[in-house]
Amino acid sequence: MIELDTFLVAIAAGDPDAFGRWVAGAERPLRESLRGFATRVDTEAVLQEALLRTWQVAPRVESDGRPNALLRMATRIARNLALDEARRYRATPLEDAPEPAHDPTPEAPDPMLRRHVLECRDGLPKQPARVLGARLASGGAEPDETLAERLGMQKNTFLQNLSRARKLLAACLEKRGITLGGLR
Amino acid sequence: MKPADRERLIAATTSAHRERDPDGRAKAHPAWHDLDEAGRLGAFDETLRLRTLEAATDPEGLSTTARAVLARIRGR
Repeated sequence: MIELDTFLVAIAAGDPDAFGRWVAGAERPLRESLRGFATRVDTEAVLQEALLRTWQVAPRVESDGRPNALLRMATRIARNLALDEARRYRATPLEDAPEPAHDPTPEAPDPMLRRHVLECRDGLPKQPARVLGARLASGGAEPDETLAERLGMQKNTFLQNLSRARKLLAACLEKRGITLGGLR
Repeated sequence: MKPADRERLIAATTSAHRERDPDGRAKAHPAWHDLDEAGRLGAFDETLRLRTLEAATDPEGLSTTARAVLARIRGR
């Protein structure tokens, strides 16, 4: 486990770069905390809103002596947002709302994973590599329709190439004994 | 739902791009609404895998989700 509250003072002072470093460690446990809502709300949209609100409330968060106070706050924000969204869709009676199993636990990044992923990415066929590269370069700023058009592809072709890229990467990594957090 | 249709919808849902409602809140992806329960669980897992790959290849360890949020914070 890593302690992400080392960024809290800088985040509270309004440093977005520090928040980025916090998000790099917090995103995965936050996302996983929403797994129980996956059939009821679009967890990607909820997660993005939760991260924005975490940034907004960070100046008021104080360490309570336990690790990762900001991440625990973010987890509560995400859960409440997910409940709000589920209510809007009338999908989740409150008594069925899933509770996180335990406190979120951020892990340090694995430097070997980066090297293996880059090597596997370099071995992708041209079209899947272009599609994956376009998604990465866009950073979520543009819809797939725009990215596909820029690459001269139909949207369906774009999406097929994306799925192919992910499967080829996963197969390449698996040959190296790597599964993505136990996910295949 | 045909497997190919489900796979296409899942791939679409893994994008970090989300339109916003009039209050500025991120809206659910249109493809997510078209998925059945199994597809939504598949989309969750597929997004988790993709974000792990994205963060692993990013020099700052940021996924496209993180980049999208930081762009909003910075007003871009």
